[in-house]
Amino acid sequence: MKKEFTPRITSFLCKWCSYTGADLAGTARLQYPTSIIPIQVMCSSRVDPVFLIKAFLNGSDGVLIGGCHPGDCHYETGNYHARRRFAIVRSVFESLGLESERLKLSWISASEGPKFARVANEYTEEIMKLGENPTRKSIFL
Amino acid sequence: MTDSERKGAVLPAAKEPGDAVLDFLRLAITKKLADAVILPMKVPSGDSYAWILMNDISLLDDAVPIAATMPVQGAKALRSLTRKGPGNLTVIAVMRPCEIRAAIELSKLGQVHPDNLILATYDCPGAVQLQKYVDDPAGSEKRFAEMLQKGKPDNSAKPVCHICEDFSLFDSDLHFGYLGLPDKEMLVIAGSDKGLELLEELGLASAEDLSVWEKGIDQLKADRIKARKSAFKETEAQLRGFDGLLSVFANCIGCHNCQSACPICYCRLCYFDSETAEQNPDALITAASKRGGISLPVDRIMFHTGRMVHMSLSCVSCGQCSDACPVSIPVAGAFSYVADQTQRTFEYTAGRNDGDPLPLRQFRKSELPGVHELVKDADAEVSSHE
Ligand code: SF4
Ligand code: SF4
Ligand code: SF4
Ligand code: FES
Repeated sequence: MKKEFTPRITSFLCKWCSYTGADLAGTARLQYPTSIIPIQVMCSSRVDPVFLIKAFLNGSDGVLIGGCHPGDCHYETGNYHARRRFAIVRSVFESLGLESERLKLSWISASEGPKFARVANEYTEEIMKLGENPTRKSIFL
Repeated sequence: MTDSERKGAVLPAAKEPGDAVLDFLRLAITKKLADAVILPMKVPSGDSYAWILMNDISLLDDAVPIAATMPVQGAKALRSLTRKGPGNLTVIAVMRPCEIRAAIELSKLGQVHPDNLILATYDCPGAVQLQKYVDDPAGSEKRFAEMLQKGKPDNSAKPVCHICEDFSLFDSDLHFGYLGLPDKEMLVIAGSDKGLELLEELGLASAEDLSVWEKGIDQLKADRIKARKSAFKETEAQLRGFDGLLSVFANCIGCHNCQSACPICYCRLCYFDSETAEQNPDALITAASKRGGISLPVDRIMFHTGRMVHMSLSCVSCGQCSDACPVSIPVAGAFSYVADQTQRTFEYTAGRNDGDPLPLRQFRKSELPGVHELVKDADAEVSSHE
């Protein structure tokens, strides 16, 4: 049963850095797992905290936000705001005893194809260890 | 204003704490230091209270400054008055500390303009749950009179009152203190420069020593802090994990009353009532087929967790959400507990008037280690940009 588990990781990647980084990983033919479901956003700060919750409740086993490195955001400070919003969701998850490890924030620049592949691989492994998101099978939501 | 700088005045003796407050307000209006006041008054049917903005001094006779229950959160009344700006008249509002704390949060959100308001609080023993009050107004008044005497909530009070640490002077302009003092004694304490100015102009006898009152409050506070710790532990255990969350909100009928009664949720159209939150039928059918079935409407847990994420940083633990819930879900217990944690994350306390902006309106370049991986890389990156 365990072997068949393919995680689904909803990934919000900012257009200017992380999404381009993911693209680069692709064109460089770096291996990264199919578990990553990329969604392009204009900036990491576009990710309303409710997006994370929605993805989690819809059964995503992991949710990733990828943004530019601090100081490099195309809109200057978007990623600092994104980090604060992300911290609230983490804190709500922790207080509710939900697995906050299912949420991840990572800074990946446009030139960091290899880093993208590494984060994707490592995170997928982490999620494999955690197993399926309990919301995946829950009838009640 | 720190504790040691606190200044206060002694109010002339009156029968009840509420009467002393009324005398004070009459004086302020007569001396033209305030144009109007906002106070609770019994509704004509006699089984509830409403906020009345009044400038006719004779109406004060019917007002009940320290009311037994709190039907509409006072911050909502202040928002409806000052949403479009501060206005030109000086208005004194006497409200519970959690109502003033909510008003302070709303002022940071641009929803209340406090410039010409004088926000006054009093030592709050707790408030009778709305449903209990409506069921038995006369009995509730009696019980509240006892609570007022002892300074402690009884079991008709809202559960959050038992765990409220900030039931006395917090960050209001004026505060009426009587707990711990001998019978019929009442102090009025300035909590801000605005409050102090008013006290000085009124020319009341200044209070030499606030320590008896302060000691009384500290004693009552200690009980509530203890109760808070153990209540949070219980709530934490109940909410634990996805199943815990489901079971606490199991009976939720999705009416969103908790959100409409909440003073902090001011959004004209809540995201969770908006078109954007509606689901696509095919996606739902897919979701159902993956699970075998799915409960409808699907957004129940999303609504509650989403609300926690949206507003818990400003939650003042006032208990209005629980009072508004038709199926007795301990909404406020859950929100107070979660809010305690989210506010801790940013070292923020909702309701403080210390010039600290809302956590989401600011950031530090280097902060929150551990929320993203490779903290060291990021820090190195930051310093190179500073
Ligand atoms: S969530 Fe409940 S306790 Fe918190 S501010 Fe809103 S109504 Fe008050
Ligand atoms: S839950 Fe969010 S969108 Fe809805 S009223 Fe509250 S703050 Fe606004
Ligand atoms: S008031 Fe109670 S029943 Fe209505 S949405 Fe809130 S928790 Fe659910
Ligand atoms: S544009 Fe990439 S984080 Fe803002």
